[in-house]
Amino acid sequence: MRKCTLLFLTLFGLVFCALGQNKQLLYDFTEIPQSLIVNPGAKTDVRWYSGIPVLSGISFQAGSSGLSVNDIFADDGIDINTKVRERAIFGMNPRDELSGTYQLELINAGFRGKNPDIFYSFGIYNEGDAIGYWFQDYAILAFEGNADRLNQRFDLGHLKTRGELMNVFHFGINKRVDNQLIVGARAKIYSSIFDFNSTKNKGYFVTTEGQNNLFASTLEADMQLRTSGIEALREAQDDGNLGSTILKRGFFGGNLGVGVDLGFTYHLNEQTVVTASLLDVGFIYHANDVKNYTLNGSATVEGIEVILPDALTDPNADFWQDLVDEIEEFVPFEDNAESYISFRPTKLNASLRYNFGEQVMSRADCDCEDLISGGNFRSKYANAVGGQLYVINRPRGPQPALTAFYLRRLGNILALKTTYTVDKFSLSNVGLGFSLQAGPVNLYLLADNLLAYRNVAASRYTSFQFGLNIISWGRN
Amino acid sequence: MKGINKITTFFLMGIALFSSCIEDQDFDQYDDLALEPVLEASILYVEAPERVINLATATNFYTEDFNFDAFSADVFADRVIDGSITYIVTNTTSKELEVSIQFLDEGANVLDTENFTIAPAPTAVLQREIAYGGTGRSIDIIRNTSSIRVSALNLGDTTSTSNLPDPKVTLQSSGKFRVEIK
Repeated sequence: MRKCTLLFLTLFGLVFCALGQNKQLLYDFTEIPQSLIVNPGAKTDVRWYSGIPVLSGISFQAGSSGLSVNDIFADDGIDINTKVRERAIFGMNPRDELSGTYQLELINAGFRGKNPDIFYSFGIYNEGDAIGYWFQDYAILAFEGNADRLNQRFDLGHLKTRGELMNVFHFGINKRVDNQLIVGARAKIYSSIFDFNSTKNKGYFVTTEGQNNLFASTLEADMQLRTSGIEALREAQDDGNLGSTILKRGFFGGNLGVGVDLGFTYHLNEQTVVTASLLDVGFIYHANDVKNYTLNGSATVEGIEVILPDALTDPNADFWQDLVDEIEEFVPFEDNAESYISFRPTKLNASLRYNFGEQVMSRADCDCEDLISGGNFRSKYANAVGGQLYVINRPRGPQPALTAFYLRRLGNILALKTTYTVDKFSLSNVGLGFSLQAGPVNLYLLADNLLAYRNVAASRYTSFQFGLNIISWGRN
Repeated sequence: MKGINKITTFFLMGIALFSSCIEDQDFDQYDDLALEPVLEASILYVEAPERVINLATATNFYTEDFNFDAFSADVFADRVIDGSITYIVTNTTSKELEVSIQFLDEGANVLDTENFTIAPAPTAVLQREIAYGGTGRSIDIIRNTSSIRVSALNLGDTTSTSNLPDPKVTLQSSGKFRVEIK
């Protein structure tokens, strides 16, 4: 039972602790087959590839835009209550977030079709994604209370969060249209394990001067929390079959959805390339194991009110219970099992790349003329610089990131990419990654925000991606 | 050779960047974190017009026990640290009044009593703040309060009428308590 509890908490922890989704190091890093996952229209010159199951792609990103561990737990002699008050409660704002994602590839493979201009890829990956915005007014209420805050409205809309855990089954087609253009698309089926979202809350709580009594407390609420799969996991935990339930729900036994990724690569000229991709344009329909909670209504109370002589008419009146009943009537807390649709956080990637320096012989150029129409795969250059744009659709609106990168190929064995990214998490995010090709074995490791490693506790963002693949260019 | 040097340089840079450090962190500080909000709300409002007072034949023109579970509910009683209750008694009638507030436990035993003797209008407003916990009265009074008894005595006559508009006696009250969430 304890193990189950641990697993349950770990699952939720994974979803809550992983943050951010930008894969700026992987994007357009075409030496790595997984670059097709972030742009189905990426350039690929391999005959086939196969990821090592479970090890082909592991990515984890975590970030907090307003606070780091060091801000609160640094051994600096400052009272933690002061730090929490100044740096968290009043130091952050409702746009600050704790958000992130992880992906674990279970299967990932690709092969070139009979038409050598078409490359197919497919696989399954497990993904957890969550975001929680800083619920500032709730925090003020919890930390300081409502006393001496007459007329201050505590905004219930500050509660804005969503999260999900799912398996994604995907199949992609990458087609080289001509020597300038490569396009790609990937179809996805989402099998949701659990989902929760509470993103459209409205209302407020306020204490004002009362009409009769000293204070009037007003609650106006239009709040909703929608969940699916949570109850099933909770019951499974109690029954001791959490693992099998997660497996079942992840393989079409939960809620299903569909989505699509689109992308292209276009050569403006011999050395200048523009790329873009739109990922996770899709939704999940939740009808299985749905439980939603609502708090909807408005009430103002001034305590128990006894006004004579009317109050004398019922000698058995229970004014306290009447007050409680009145609040519950006007602001009912209810639950239901109505199905709902959740949209995936759609992501946009785009890049402009300039290649220069000596040309690097592609492995595909060797004796793979059958791979390419006319045998004219574009040459790779030893160097590339450029910029990337990333935008993800979040509950408080689009969230962008800008990246400048430099890519260096050392022969066709090693490729290195370094990035500098500016986003809401950091203005000094320097990343570094490499792809090492040892015979047919491809190993890659990408890590972000390296400057923060000077003091990991002060970092507000971290990510890494790691993977192992077997690649064939047709000769091995 | 040149290529190998470049690779070495890149890896050394990588190692240097990856050589992570962490400043001293003291996670035991969490034990010192105190979530103790101060909550404030109205408790009880009683209003008696002068005509009702004049109709009563006895001196004690009003006595009522009000069920009040807010204090004794576990969510509050287990967490309340200290606080205060503020009373404002306003008398715009023509007679001197005595208002008494008593806190009762589940067995109807009196835990605490507060008396207000208030002069007739026009100078009849009494405000009093009673502290509980700390140097004030025992916070256990609050924790164990299950009902509130309000009684009012007419220390004057039953015939006179104030010349103020809508003459009445009102009792307003609010609580302000610090509770321990963590």
